[in-house]
Amino acid sequence: MKAKISVLIVAAALLALPAAAQETPQSIVTAYDALADTILSVRDAELGFVAAMLDGHLHAAKTLMSKGDVEGAAAQMALFANEGDNNIGGVRKRLLEGGHHFNADGEEQGIYEPGYVIVTREAKQALLEASKELRLAAGDVERLAAWDKFATMAKALLGGAAKTLGAG
Amino acid sequence: MSPGHPGVHLGLLAAAVGLALGPAAFTAGDAAAAELRFVDIAAPAGVTAPTWCGRPEKPHIMESNGTGLAVLDYDGDGDLDLYLVNGWRLEGNRVAERGVNRLYRNEGDGTFADVTARAGVGDDGWGSGVGVGDVDGDGAPDLMVTNFGADVLYRNRGDGTFEPLADGPGIDGWSAGAILFDADGDGDQDVYLTAYIDCTMEEVLEAQPELDWEGLKVMLGPFGLAGLGNGYFENLGGGRFRDATVEAGLADVGRYYSFGVAAVDLDADLDLDLYVANDSNPNYVYDNQGDGTFKEVGLWSGAALDAMGNAQAGMGLAAGDLDSDGLPDLLVTNFHKDVSTIYRNLGDFIFEDVTRQMALSEATYMPLSWGTTLSDLDLDGDLDVFVANGHIYPQADLAPQAGTSFRQRNLLLANEGGVFRDLSAAAGPGLEVLEASHGLAVGDLDGDGDLDLAVSNVDAPATLLRNDSPPAGAWLMVSAPAAMRVGVVAGQRRWVRHRIVGGSFLSESDPRFHFGLGHVQAIDRLTVVLAGGARSRHHGAPIGRQLVFQRH
Repeated sequence: MKAKISVLIVAAALLALPAAAQETPQSIVTAYDALADTILSVRDAELGFVAAMLDGHLHAAKTLMSKGDVEGAAAQMALFANEGDNNIGGVRKRLLEGGHHFNADGEEQGIYEPGYVIVTREAKQALLEASKELRLAAGDVERLAAWDKFATMAKALLGGAAKTLGAG
Repeated sequence: MSPGHPGVHLGLLAAAVGLALGPAAFTAGDAAAAELRFVDIAAPAGVTAPTWCGRPEKPHIMESNGTGLAVLDYDGDGDLDLYLVNGWRLEGNRVAERGVNRLYRNEGDGTFADVTARAGVGDDGWGSGVGVGDVDGDGAPDLMVTNFGADVLYRNRGDGTFEPLADGPGIDGWSAGAILFDADGDGDQDVYLTAYIDCTMEEVLEAQPELDWEGLKVMLGPFGLAGLGNGYFENLGGGRFRDATVEAGLADVGRYYSFGVAAVDLDADLDLDLYVANDSNPNYVYDNQGDGTFKEVGLWSGAALDAMGNAQAGMGLAAGDLDSDGLPDLLVTNFHKDVSTIYRNLGDFIFEDVTRQMALSEATYMPLSWGTTLSDLDLDGDLDVFVANGHIYPQADLAPQAGTSFRQRNLLLANEGGVFRDLSAAAGPGLEVLEASHGLAVGDLDGDGDLDLAVSNVDAPATLLRNDSPPAGAWLMVSAPAAMRVGVVAGQRRWVRHRIVGGSFLSESDPRFHFGLGHVQAIDRLTVVLAGGARSRHHGAPIGRQLVFQRH
């Protein structure tokens, strides 16, 4: 509906032009330019949103680890790896059904799973492995190793996202 | 065929001692090399009605799922009968035939009689699946039939006839799997239903193949189509149910495309957990909290994704203790050009993908797989695999480059020391059958102690695979409706078989606990464990027969 209204507004503006006009009116150009800003910023907004969500899982995992809740920490690590829980998976599925692929080229090359924004396939596998290793760890040394493996990779992924956002 | 097994009836006495289980190791059966042989007896046995699923060219995904089936003793005469769910046959954009579900009574002489009309279970909705249970606690198995449309719960009157329950549980739309189990521990059986795509009959009738596949146009989906939410219905007694999906923690939050479902105690805490196979999305693993609620733990359990962290196209599933650690492992079937996946249960809801270690990848990569089982088919003491296969695209027959076909051979894999060997090509004429097979139900149809297989086929009659394998060992059947698991110890060997509700693909197998025992001469100890934790321990149980445990 919104799209139809926009088309009508533009059409009305063009129809109102004097017959001799050979250029698009500046007001239309300006409006479209502003819209372009909005369209392009949506991509950054999505990246920022997913980064914030993952940062939340990282923070939660760290807090739970410090409290000795290994199960809880491992769960948060797995949710980081999966870019959210099944509720988020449902949203991602809806976006895909609507034709939205954040990393379309990366998906084509097999780097990203469909709809994933930050976590690559390779990283996901390693992060899930770290989560499992944490749950299966026999002692503190193994637990710390699993945590370090996860935290290093998680921070690198978030750092990459922050860099992209900063560059934008 | 002979009447049911001679039964030994034993009381169920509480005892404090259970099975002591040692460290896990994949165990070898007793046979050096398994020999398996199956023969299709459907036609001579009189099981001849076809089960329909849309048009031959399958322009809509609704026409690709096929239908389930169940083996059950509906009339309490000791042998297993057969219930086949039926879909509709379409021609062009009209309904040509509303297929009627069929109940075949086992006559005990190798034949089955169609008693559908007499029993009153001939629902003619577009059927998907069936679950078997006892919702009214009268000891007679009831039937939950899922449809594309209104679902039907048939209450068994106990006299060989059924009545549909008014206002029974159901999902309005394309519901798929159905299981009946005591989810909330209140002693009666509740209902859980899976659902696949949200679509209308008009969309099905008007569908055209739109998706490009191997240079051909095929049906669209499931990507691009909206999923339909699964449902959980609490049994309130008196034939009344209420939708308790959300408050039980079973909301299908991802609106994933769900098919197969099983209830099995995955963490050995004596309540039934849930595993849901989702097509093209992570599978759900629900931990029963023991208070009528569930917690979804799939994404961090290791059982929702494969070893690479990928969601697969879950269709059907099986559960069974492959490594003799007392915990049920899982087998999930998937799409063409992807492997079926075995998840080894490490306890506490930690699973690891051991598909490659168990050599399951090669045999399962090319077929499109549906119903499956982990059962000891050669009685050598370990669990073998059977998989029902068939593609969803009839156009596969026109695309030789795809390396597949619409009708496919089923798979039979023998467990040889924790590694599966594909014996399909040498397992007799029953494994030469070429159909688009989807549903699978398992049970000892001829009462000879080994397990037979009933397979439903798309747009064709079912296949009844009589197990004619030379027995590689002894057997034991335990009927214990109240048990969560049954353990057997013989010398240094031990087995645990679990209560498994549902599983396979939209189908229900015989709920009794079946043991292949290999070269065991005698059982030292048999332990029956109930949901509440009570145990009944027996020394010197007989082999080669059925033991019946009843509550006193």
